[in-house]
Amino acid sequence: MTDRPRIAYVGMTHLGLCSAVAAAAKGFDTLGVDLDAALVGRLEAGKLPVVEPELDDLLAHHREKIYFVTDPARLKACDVIYVAPDVPTDDQGGSDLKTLDALLALALDHARADAIVVVLSQVPPGYTRARLRSDKNLYYQVETLVFGRAVERATKPERFMVGCPDPATPLPPALKTYLEAFDCPVLPMRLESAELAKISINCSLVASVTVANTLAELCEEIGADWSEIAPALKLDRRIGAYSYLSPGLGIAGGNLERDLATVIRFSEEYGTDAAVIRAFVHNSRYRKDWAIRTLHETVLWRGAEVRLGVLGLAYKENTHSVKNSPSLALIRLLHPWHVRVYDPVVKSEVADHPNVTGAQDALDAASGVDALAIMTPWPEFKKLSPADLAKTMRGKTILDPFRVLDPKTAEAAGLDYHTLGVA
Amino acid sequence: MLTHTTSSPQALKRVVVIGAGGLVGSTIVSELNRAGIPVAGLTRKEVDLLASAGSEQLRAKLRSDDAVVFVSAIAPAKNAAQMMDNLRMAEAALQAFAAVPPVHLLYISSDAVYADDANPVTEQSPVAPSTSHGMMHAARELMFRSEVKAPFAALRPTLIYGARDPHSGYGPNRFRRQAAEGGPITLFGEGEEKRDHVAVEDVARLAVRILQHRSTGSLNAVTGVATSFCDIAHLVADNFEPKVEVKHLVRTVPRPHLLHRFFDITNCYKAFPDFHFEPLADGLARVHREVFGGC
Repeated sequence: MTDRPRIAYVGMTHLGLCSAVAAAAKGFDTLGVDLDAALVGRLEAGKLPVVEPELDDLLAHHREKIYFVTDPARLKACDVIYVAPDVPTDDQGGSDLKTLDALLALALDHARADAIVVVLSQVPPGYTRARLRSDKNLYYQVETLVFGRAVERATKPERFMVGCPDPATPLPPALKTYLEAFDCPVLPMRLESAELAKISINCSLVASVTVANTLAELCEEIGADWSEIAPALKLDRRIGAYSYLSPGLGIAGGNLERDLATVIRFSEEYGTDAAVIRAFVHNSRYRKDWAIRTLHETVLWRGAEVRLGVLGLAYKENTHSVKNSPSLALIRLLHPWHVRVYDPVVKSEVADHPNVTGAQDALDAASGVDALAIMTPWPEFKKLSPADLAKTMRGKTILDPFRVLDPKTAEAAGLDYHTLGVA
Repeated sequence: MLTHTTSSPQALKRVVVIGAGGLVGSTIVSELNRAGIPVAGLTRKEVDLLASAGSEQLRAKLRSDDAVVFVSAIAPAKNAAQMMDNLRMAEAALQAFAAVPPVHLLYISSDAVYADDANPVTEQSPVAPSTSHGMMHAARELMFRSEVKAPFAALRPTLIYGARDPHSGYGPNRFRRQAAEGGPITLFGEGEEKRDHVAVEDVARLAVRILQHRSTGSLNAVTGVATSFCDIAHLVADNFEPKVEVKHLVRTVPRPHLLHRFFDITNCYKAFPDFHFEPLADGLARVHREVFGGC
């Protein structure tokens, strides 16, 4: 090993790609490995398959430090090899680990005996220990990717949690050098602790969101406004300035659901109490239906002539991901009605609907509709003028769960404005 | 919640309604007739499921291509004897269905199958009845679901009102009769308990849709709007000229544990997106016209 370890990331999907670019940005010679030749070709040409703020620029600035290859034999030259494909989930939150298993076996087979192989993908507790090999060094590291904020999370992590076969043994120098370059605490722990730490983080986030959802709904009934309450909670040190207290339309994206499903599955296997986790799942399902409930109560009861507009198809802003998207779930329930849709990144063709029209822009999606639902809080939607919407729409009903528009301006424009957390 | 076997409504050869003499059964028969669907309504006169020959009587009426609505019940089942009679009726029907399986079975159940504290109630709420009536419906659902070799659906109505409702339980029907006799409409205490009330015609319309889609699973026949008995009393009173007095009686027994009952009807929106319930005020006004005439 030279003074600066050579780093590899295997699996060039969202997690691996963003992490590899961050490694290059820290000045490490980095190898991005994927068996998909077409993908590697696109990456070599600087064309990224994911939408993340600043990722394109970061790669362009550090292009000389990173290589994308298909040949796993190139791993022989690397000191720390992360295996980091995104692990897909099914509708029940179950993980499909086949791709990870295959890439991990590939990495272990091609790694030097003194190299460090690190599982970075999200795995259930017990996964890594079951794959330890006497001839190779295998670790697990918690990933904290956030879609839409992946570059920030990869380049400025709060801490590293590293699962070790024996946490009493110091971290291998190459891994230690690499992690210390990010200038944040490094927490070695047992493999199982690290695997469960990832799940614990996500359960804590869901707990906060569930509290926000539950009390925001109550606000809507009793004359309170959750947007006045949440900032006060964030000033409480026991709760925290960055706590997830924005009410939403249920959990989406796949990763949080996966961890809830994992805890429930393990609780069934070991006989532990997971009633609160089931309550999180229940609340998430309930909140996902806020938009369809509100549309029925406000306009859909009028009949088949109602016309609708939906802004946003991605599951959240600044991402192309539509996994468990509340917007697409809503559109699937609107088959009897004509729907105009617009998303800055996602094409209208992904919508499961027999009578959907893709609009040119956000205002065009509002043209002639009786109700407009802003289902993804893309920054560009904030530029919409409520007065323009009022002129363009046939009706006046706006569903704006994330408060993309200013509620007072919307009401002043004569819009019938509905959002989360206030009547 | 419901799963449709066919995504679009299908033509039905014939629907047999067991229990066609009651309010719900007769309204389902009317709604099937209105939809142009062949229907055979069976009352206790044709088939007495508590008689020794009840099973054989029913078997003789069934054809192999029938969809069946089972709505016959001694309701409400107030005690163990009535509960057991209801279960024996279901058992007799099962024997007939074993000989001539229906192509689809719809059972008209009740929201009494849910626990009292399950607010807001959905089809996923645990079945945990607190009354003999609720336990009877839960047991019948289980009997049919587990033993009938056909797609099975349970429709679970909440409190039903209608012009021809023979019952006079606390609520719209009793209030209307009190008002018709010159009043006053009497409430227990403030009448603040909120309940969901559904028009029997809406229950029947849902039943027809379930049959047309050969749906399986369960669906609550509820409007999603809970109204206090006090507000219902005034809605009923408003339909009379001059308005009838609404009088509050001092409660002689403690207020019921179940103060309010709310339902989340999202599953109905998902199953039948273009179905909408008649608002309670409209329904009460319509029933008033049907009973007393006028426009």
